[in-house]
Amino acid sequence: MLLSLNWLKDFVPFEGDIEELAHRLTMVGLEVEEIVEPFSYLKTVVVGKVVECQPHPNSDHLSVCRVDVGKEILPIVCGAPNVSQGQFVPVALIGTCMPSGFTIKKAKLRGEVSCGMICSQKELELGDDQSGIWVLDQEFSSLTPGQDLISALGLDRYVLDIGITPNRADCLSVLGLAREIATLFSLPLSMPKVEITEDDQSLDYEIDIPAKEHCYLYQARLIEDCQIKVSPSWMRFRLLASGIKPINNVVDVTNYVLLELGQPLHAFDRDFLEGNKIRVALAGQKQSFTTLDGNNRKLLATDLLIWDAKKPVALAGIMGGANSEIRENSSRVLLECAVFNPITIRKTARRLGISSEASYRFERGIDQLLSPFALQRATALIQTLAKGKVLKGLAACEPKPYAPRYVSFRAPKVSQLLGVSISEKFCHEALTKLGCKIESKATGWEVLVPSFRHDLEREIDLVEEVGRIYGLDKIEAKLPKISKTLDQTGDPKVAFLRKVKHWSKSVGLKEAINYSFVGSKVLNLLGLPEDNRVYVLNPLSEEQNVLRTDLLAGLLHSVQVNANKERFKLFEIAKTFFKDQNSETLCRENNRLGIVLAGKRYPSKWPFEETEMDYTDLKGILDHFLTIFVGKEVEFVKKQEHPFLKPAVEIVSQKENYGFLGLVKDEIALQYDVKNMDLWYASVDLDKVFETFQQYTLKFQELPKFPATKRDITLVCPLHLCVGDVFKVIKKVKCKILEDTCLTDIYFPKDKKVKHVTLRLTYRAKDKTLKDKEVDKMHKQIADILVKELKVTFP
Amino acid sequence: MSLDNFLNKLSGLVQELEKDLNEAKSISGLEEVRVKFLSRKGRLAEVMKGLKSLSEQDKPVAGKKANEIKDKLLRLWQEKKAYFETKQKEEQLKTFDPTVPGRIPDFGTLHPITLVIEEISDIFTSLGFDVVQGPEVETDFYNFEALNIPPEHPARDMQDTLYITENILLRTHTSPLQIRTMLSRKPPVAAIAPGKVYRRDSDLTHSPMFHQIEGFLVDKNVTMAELRGTLTLFLHQVFGKETKVRFRPSFFPFTEPSAEVDISCVLCKGKGQINGVPCRVCKETGWVEILGCGMIDPAVFHMVGYDPEEFSGFAFGLGVERVAMLKYGIGDLRIFFDNDLRFLEQFKG
Ligand SMILES: [Zn+2]
Repeated sequence: MLLSLNWLKDFVPFEGDIEELAHRLTMVGLEVEEIVEPFSYLKTVVVGKVVECQPHPNSDHLSVCRVDVGKEILPIVCGAPNVSQGQFVPVALIGTCMPSGFTIKKAKLRGEVSCGMICSQKELELGDDQSGIWVLDQEFSSLTPGQDLISALGLDRYVLDIGITPNRADCLSVLGLAREIATLFSLPLSMPKVEITEDDQSLDYEIDIPAKEHCYLYQARLIEDCQIKVSPSWMRFRLLASGIKPINNVVDVTNYVLLELGQPLHAFDRDFLEGNKIRVALAGQKQSFTTLDGNNRKLLATDLLIWDAKKPVALAGIMGGANSEIRENSSRVLLECAVFNPITIRKTARRLGISSEASYRFERGIDQLLSPFALQRATALIQTLAKGKVLKGLAACEPKPYAPRYVSFRAPKVSQLLGVSISEKFCHEALTKLGCKIESKATGWEVLVPSFRHDLEREIDLVEEVGRIYGLDKIEAKLPKISKTLDQTGDPKVAFLRKVKHWSKSVGLKEAINYSFVGSKVLNLLGLPEDNRVYVLNPLSEEQNVLRTDLLAGLLHSVQVNANKERFKLFEIAKTFFKDQNSETLCRENNRLGIVLAGKRYPSKWPFEETEMDYTDLKGILDHFLTIFVGKEVEFVKKQEHPFLKPAVEIVSQKENYGFLGLVKDEIALQYDVKNMDLWYASVDLDKVFETFQQYTLKFQELPKFPATKRDITLVCPLHLCVGDVFKVIKKVKCKILEDTCLTDIYFPKDKKVKHVTLRLTYRAKDKTLKDKEVDKMHKQIADILVKELKVTFP
Repeated sequence: MSLDNFLNKLSGLVQELEKDLNEAKSISGLEEVRVKFLSRKGRLAEVMKGLKSLSEQDKPVAGKKANEIKDKLLRLWQEKKAYFETKQKEEQLKTFDPTVPGRIPDFGTLHPITLVIEEISDIFTSLGFDVVQGPEVETDFYNFEALNIPPEHPARDMQDTLYITENILLRTHTSPLQIRTMLSRKPPVAAIAPGKVYRRDSDLTHSPMFHQIEGFLVDKNVTMAELRGTLTLFLHQVFGKETKVRFRPSFFPFTEPSAEVDISCVLCKGKGQINGVPCRVCKETGWVEILGCGMIDPAVFHMVGYDPEEFSGFAFGLGVERVAMLKYGIGDLRIFFDNDLRFLEQFKG
């Protein structure tokens, strides 16, 4: 809401400092977002008096003028036909940047020096007249040369841009803000004087409201013989300062009163209305309607329309119809001033995507008791500006008269809730200042709230008002005593996820955070199923139209950003989303850990070796993770098919799937600019891991008392044999004295289709030192089983 | 061979060895000496061959002496070797370069959003708040209705929503956790809920996904003064003790009274300008908006079955990105979700 300070002063004699006003308003909840200077471009435009005007010696359409601008007399060459000696005119001094973007410079026009420009209304964007220069003394008095144009014309130097919260509908007008300012600065509030001279002829018009629950009040006045023309400057300037484009005197009056009193009005051209009747009824069978902006609007049966005897003429409370709008040659004006059900207006406005100044106010609530005054005010203004003849009386129907609202209030509640001591007297004064009427009862107060404050319905609303007037910023800080009950703890999963993040950091991964939504194209590229996806109904773009079903879909963005680096190791902990009809949100959310690795194993610098990351780097990280968070044996099983990984490996344990890892297929990596390096990706189901982690408890193991014996064994294995299979067989032997098995080497002899796998077995007994013979015997037994089960040989 | 002759030869070896050791210049020279005297075909072995020709009577004496000499030779040689080794180490130490780059393990980093969330979570857990979480895809009920934002209420305009279906949406704030938590617990309840939230809004200062932290306390006699105390303590810990805190009345459908909280600008220290240049962070006002808060609206208590006559409570919500931007001096919101390594690796702490 833009508040013109000049306009404000019509209501409140505020003479203080603008910064102070902005601060005080902000501190009572009317946040001044900006102090705007709407006409700042006029700072170097002044009033000039043409003291001499001669035809240009070298041109038949230019004049050479000498213009008094106070401090000096400037030579100015002017091309307007209406310039003449003695006129007061607006002069843009050298250096002025005109609204068109053109800067005034000292110039020579056909040999004559020109130091400034005499401007038209249009050039200053203060009106549409561009027939010639703007002769100020035709409209304004007490002009002096050199006076700056802003003050000479009474333009607003400053306008406050105030953010009005949805509860404060009453502040969507100059009057509403003036009321607050009057309260804040203890100033008197005065209302504009309204005088109408009614014609002898009476208005013969009927208002019929079948849609009673949608329209609370409808009033109309008829003004005949109107002269539609441009509004006077003062009105145009105020509308301009408030961000509204002036159109013609009648339309401008409706906008003016809307801004001034917060009551939207609509002016119909009576000549286009059929019959003597206005009907307020739902659209019903009517399927479309053309609003005055020329758009054909599709209607629902529940949309509220204003009808004449035959046809709809306005989309109630939102916009008038093209069929009855005020035109240049209109003469008879039917002026509507109504109050509609906020929800009805909002539903239609929102569905049609229209937010007009009118609908915005209707949605938030109108002061019904002020409505008749607003109609009078507008009628009077039209009478003055358009010289119209106001027919006697008004047509009105009020299906739902305003019901005064009483709210019970206990003053001690304020201190109790705010935690500061605020006296009953203060509460009384504050509420009274705000327009409430208070009656004392045994249980507390009955407060009659003003009709313009729709937000005051409950005791708590009044508590807030008292707090606002007291100043929330004056409340002193105290710390609460927080009591806990035995059954309350934080969510253990939050702590778990945090632990995983810190683990990721500790193993050298950098955390990435990507959007939860991606384009369905990305999921398609990854070959992910379509039937389980959760789509956004109203996405901002096609690139954000579906929730991730795999973290990689988002991580690929980070991969692309970093594709030009020699190496990166990233992780992300976030949710993936799947359609789930059984969930109350129709969606299953799965916490996942995603890891991407690519490029060099170490930075390219001494003392590091130059090697590339491979499967062992990623698997090592996962082994580390699983040891800490799962703590039980898992298997890495090669998958034959995977939509976006090759090779792809699944992490399984006792039929539980903990996740997967592998190499992102080249053709996918390439689309994200990953060239000449492998892109490794792992995805871990943290919800699954969490289940296991919760059951997993650390137990101390006694330290061994007797020495261990280590024996190596080298097996010649077929190439396809997995090391894991060898381990599995050894494990199956169930040898009590075998403490540990580890792989010490894999060697691929040249020209032979085998690999040499060397294992180191550690033997130890709990209760004695093992003899060589005992170890030999066991070691041989294991070797024999390996040979038998795996068809391996010895070198 | 006589015993004397044999013993003389043995003793002679000692002098010979000492002479050679003195002449040896390095560890490799020393190895030659070892081969010459102590190897299988060396001087000692040669002399020992004479042992066979001695009488049985002399052999024990000769044998004992031979062992003594053998030990002595070995000891002398080892002493010399140790001498050389020490000397070599000392030489090496003279050229030791302490400034060579080390094998630095890779720096893992946490995203600044995580750093801020954890810092704030720690402050509130130390005050007795629990950390809770909930779904990011929410129902209209938890996200709006239960928070006193009925359908067709103008307050819905305050948040542009991304919908999944007519009734299911991406949560627009972390406030649904107030409802979920209160429905599952009885007062006293003190919890914070950090997490991702979504709005249909994308420009220089808005991201369609960002992070919020919701906090709330419900108990008997909770006051706005306590809200102010809690937030002041928290803001002092995050931005420094000298930070000024300002409460401005505002409006949220689920709190009443509601307030916006401003802190004195972290960049210009509340002065509005730096060396005469207008401050870009606070746009010369000296204040920056940091969070919204208020006393939980009785309508919300009705929704979760708490009696507003018995209990009161406060709630607040803050934008994590905003805190991170102010705290670390980050000017561009979009940089958070690009995850450029050059950005990420600055947060090594
Ligand atoms: Zn600043």
